[in-house]
Amino acid sequence: MLELKDLYFSVGERNIIDGINYTFEKGKFYGITGPNGSGKTTLAKLIMGINTADSGKIMFEGKEISQLSITDRAREGIAYSFQQPARFKGITFRDLLAMAAGTDDEEMLLALLRRVGICSLSFLDKPVDAKLSGGEIKKIELATTIARNPKLAIYDEPDTGIDLWTIQPMVRLLKREQKEHGTTTVVVSHNRAFLEAADIVLMISEGKLVYRGDLQGALPMLNDLSACNYRKCVGDKDVGCYR
Amino acid sequence: MLDAIDKDLLKTVADLEGLPKGAFNIRKNGKLLKREVSANIDIESNADGSGIIVTIKPGTINESVHIPVILSQAGLYDVVYNNFIIGEGADVTIIAGCGIHCGSLEPEGHAGIHEFRVGKGAKVKYVEKHYASGPGRGRRTLNPTTKVFLEAGATAEMELTQIGGVDEANRANEATLGPDSLLLITERVLTEEKQKAVSANTIILAGAGSRANMISRSVIKGDSEQDFYATMEALAPCFGHIECDAIIMDNGRNETVPSLKARHPDAALTHEASIGKIASDQLMKLMSLGLTYDEAVNRIIQGFLK
Repeated sequence: MLELKDLYFSVGERNIIDGINYTFEKGKFYGITGPNGSGKTTLAKLIMGINTADSGKIMFEGKEISQLSITDRAREGIAYSFQQPARFKGITFRDLLAMAAGTDDEEMLLALLRRVGICSLSFLDKPVDAKLSGGEIKKIELATTIARNPKLAIYDEPDTGIDLWTIQPMVRLLKREQKEHGTTTVVVSHNRAFLEAADIVLMISEGKLVYRGDLQGALPMLNDLSACNYRKCVGDKDVGCYR
Repeated sequence: MLDAIDKDLLKTVADLEGLPKGAFNIRKNGKLLKREVSANIDIESNADGSGIIVTIKPGTINESVHIPVILSQAGLYDVVYNNFIIGEGADVTIIAGCGIHCGSLEPEGHAGIHEFRVGKGAKVKYVEKHYASGPGRGRRTLNPTTKVFLEAGATAEMELTQIGGVDEANRANEATLGPDSLLLITERVLTEEKQKAVSANTIILAGAGSRANMISRSVIKGDSEQDFYATMEALAPCFGHIECDAIIMDNGRNETVPSLKARHPDAALTHEASIGKIASDQLMKLMSLGLTYDEAVNRIIQGFLK
């Protein structure tokens, strides 16, 4: 349903995405992982149109979308959940949810709250501003993504700012969306819980797709990529270098 | 008595469909058009006929008074001095506002000088909207001044809005707060084309336990200019906060100067100020929900000025 053909994206001299080819299948759950700075988020942004590829094609359900705006890609059925969600002044969760769902009907908004597992109705009228906690804003981000009823949902690091106890319910929510609504799901994450939930794990390193398959097969490579390649590194013997 | 233009202006600046219920005073082109008083709210002209005195009896609860001004006379600059005396323990809403309809090349303007004396424990909500419209190209000016004196335990909540069409505005807000009093000011100003607006605010926290919060939201479009100055001076243990945000679009220009003066060691004064274009992450979020760029801009501005 989503095909990436010879995708390149660079900033200055640096190739952030360096020739990626891949076809995502309809209704599958993908986990995209890799070291920090490997190009995972950039790849997700290229799909949504937040950044535009230097060359290559993005085909969505047989239609080329490489040059479409964010708006047009959203209207084609792609939804995106930002790692650092925007905060506003004077816009409430209700406003965003209504925009996402295309309706301000109270019953439909309440049904959406139930669907995403938000029990507190008072949450609906919370301003989406700087006062929200990291966990609250991520819940809102997820809810507005799901409210789009997307064909393809992209979640960039959905667990950022979320407490440990909320991660499993979040994984279950995304899996349920995949099963019940046939949503093709792409999660960019380092978190094992999301990677375990994925049907297919994709690993990006230095802008290239270096692995596709199940998590088990990815583990040796993940361990390898997590080793520090700085030649003078004293590693975990000394300062606790985790790279 | 009210023609179509008057009705349109009243609807815009005071949310009125015709004449209001309760006490009101409607001024049109520098003259009294219609006045009603109520059992608890008295309105009388001042001695020299340059304005009105609104007296609200102590203990008056949940009543409102409308005092809109409408202008549609070419070449008129209307100046009015209004006094509001709010009795102890009252809880009332005052809805003001000025609408100008300009139909010619001649300028039109209004300066409303409003002085509020809010008695012990009383609460007042003051809502003021300024708006100008019409096909004429005459300069439209609105220069409001508000002076607020809060006695012990009094509260004033002021919503001051300029929603468009005003070529020049010089606003001055002054307030002196007594012990345990509370002042909340929210000012929202939208300018476009070559319009200019200046807002100068001086808030003196004179009483122990007084609190003030001033919020300013500015949207500056086209080639317009807006300047915002706010000084909070603390003379006692108190709390004061200034929050001023300006969104600049096109070639708009803005100067924002919050100023804090602590004259007492137990004063707590803070401010936050920002000037900038609409944040790209906000635009991208709304576009990812299916809004076009222009729809996203409008929605963000609408929320910002809400």
